Amino acid sequence: MNLNRIYAIVMRNLYVWPRGMERFMWSVGWPMVSLFSWGLTAAYLQSISMSSISITTLILGGIIFWSITTRAQLETTVNFMDEVWNKNLINIFSSPLTIGEFLAATIILDIIKFVISTSILTVIAYLLYSLNIIGFGWYLPLFIINLLIFGWTVGFFIIGMMLRLGGRNIQELAWALLGFVAPFSCVYYPITSLPVWAQKIAVLLPTTYVFEEMRRFMFSHTVLWENLLLSLLLNLFYLILSLIFLFLMFEKARETGGLTKLEG
Amino acid sequence: MVEVKNLTKKFGPAKTSGLIAVDDISFSIKTGEIVGLLGPNGAGKTTTIDMLIGILKPSSGSITIFGKPFEQNRRDILQEMNFSAAYIHLPWKMRIWENLYTFGRLYQVKNYKVKSEELMEEFMLTDLRNKFIKDLSSGQQARVYLCKAFINDPKLLLLDEPTAFMDPDIADTLRKLIVQKVKTTGTTVIFTSHNMAEVTELCDRVIFLNKGKIVDEDTPEALAKKIGSCRVHLMIIDGQKRTLSWCEEQKITANAYGRYVTVELKEKEIATFLSKLADIGVEYDEISIDKPTLEDFFLKVTREGKI
Repeated sequence: MNLNRIYAIVMRNLYVWPRGMERFMWSVGWPMVSLFSWGLTAAYLQSISMSSISITTLILGGIIFWSITTRAQLETTVNFMDEVWNKNLINIFSSPLTIGEFLAATIILDIIKFVISTSILTVIAYLLYSLNIIGFGWYLPLFIINLLIFGWTVGFFIIGMMLRLGGRNIQELAWALLGFVAPFSCVYYPITSLPVWAQKIAVLLPTTYVFEEMRRFMFSHTVLWENLLLSLLLNLFYLILSLIFLFLMFEKARETGGLTKLEG
Repeated sequence: MVEVKNLTKKFGPAKTSGLIAVDDISFSIKTGEIVGLLGPNGAGKTTTIDMLIGILKPSSGSITIFGKPFEQNRRDILQEMNFSAAYIHLPWKMRIWENLYTFGRLYQVKNYKVKSEELMEEFMLTDLRNKFIKDLSSGQQARVYLCKAFINDPKLLLLDEPTAFMDPDIADTLRKLIVQKVKTTGTTVIFTSHNMAEVTELCDRVIFLNKGKIVDEDTPEALAKKIGSCRVHLMIIDGQKRTLSWCEEQKITANAYGRYVTVELKEKEIATFLSKLADIGVEYDEISIDKPTLEDFFLKVTREGKI
């Protein structure tokens, strides 16, 4: 890993970040829109509900935490696709840059943008709906780490698929794949709400445990550490698998001409 | 500097024969040479370039650059190389200086900021340094791509059709910039183009590819000479029929169009031919001689598959 080359990719993306409306929308805009619209919906449901449980808190917590995963995944894949769209992929990979350095740069970028976007969302949630995310205390970093890792894992998998299969259609995965995962991650409801067959899938997802513990903390101010640990172990397992897959697909793309075909 | 041995690239499933884009080619390039890879579409030029920059893995054969096997020393070798192609761009929403700084960092160029400014000066881009790539004309973009290609003072530079899609004036300016830069730095260049005049002007040597194989390899002038015959154009005042029938007797290819006759002859036979025309009383007013060019060689090999 060469820090100069990682820095080059980080800076290359930071130069363009403020210039693209789409980048702003993915990072901050759409999560803000969700926060407003679902916040208002939840507030209305709360007003007509007899329940003492804060529906607003449950939904907004889910939105903010899920946005961490979706943004991490989008950041990873969009950085790669941006090179494809700009026909710059061959330029950067005919330089000494390694795919590992490219991914490291992507993770750094994601962390920078995560701090900015999540701070904005946290402040808005607090000001508009009195939801205090900071109130999660020392559990918060554990939630965030697990959510970020899962986002990166899915992002790396999608890049691997793009390298293997190429074509514009596969790029749609960047926007669609986590949409399929979300219902099984139990973002807004407990795992017991799922049908039995779906619960079997849900227990395999690290995000499920994060959202279960998020709700547990909201209701009882406690968390089950073993669930967060299990989430972390699952995350690390999937992360390693997705990295192996991506590295294999990168080498495969060098055999099949996938890198040039992506830009074609 | 570059040693390619038995390089082959096949695409498609191994079970079937697939497409053989590059078929067992071998060549070497000396330090400081400018070598053109020439051939029709689908000849294997870009596939060869892609293997030389590591974007594509060879199916078999070996590439040695700077005396080191490429695959095992990919990072070190790429550090000393650079690449530019008409079909590869730079990020459109980045300014010229931002792009050059980025590649300066990627290639770990010491004082990359100074180097970028020097290149912008050299390639007449200083006034445009803050412009986005998307706001530049194609000629200006091509100059930025060349700046990127020279950012690390590469020992080996690969240029894949750098002047494609450009009007003759811009292409000419760009060629002059490339020649000037390459001559002053002593960079070794592998160059592909469909423009024969450009290849003749720039390249010390040409490797001619057709259907994935090397058909011939020589200086542009020597390849052109392999055509063997010149074209002599004459405007005949009197004796066109005599000229044509004499050519037919001598089995010399001759074509008539209007008052003109074009005859294909070896260079050393021209004097004898003209003397013979005088003997048989042919009068002509205009005469021009076209020596064979690289384009003639290109067309002959492409159409007939051999010379």
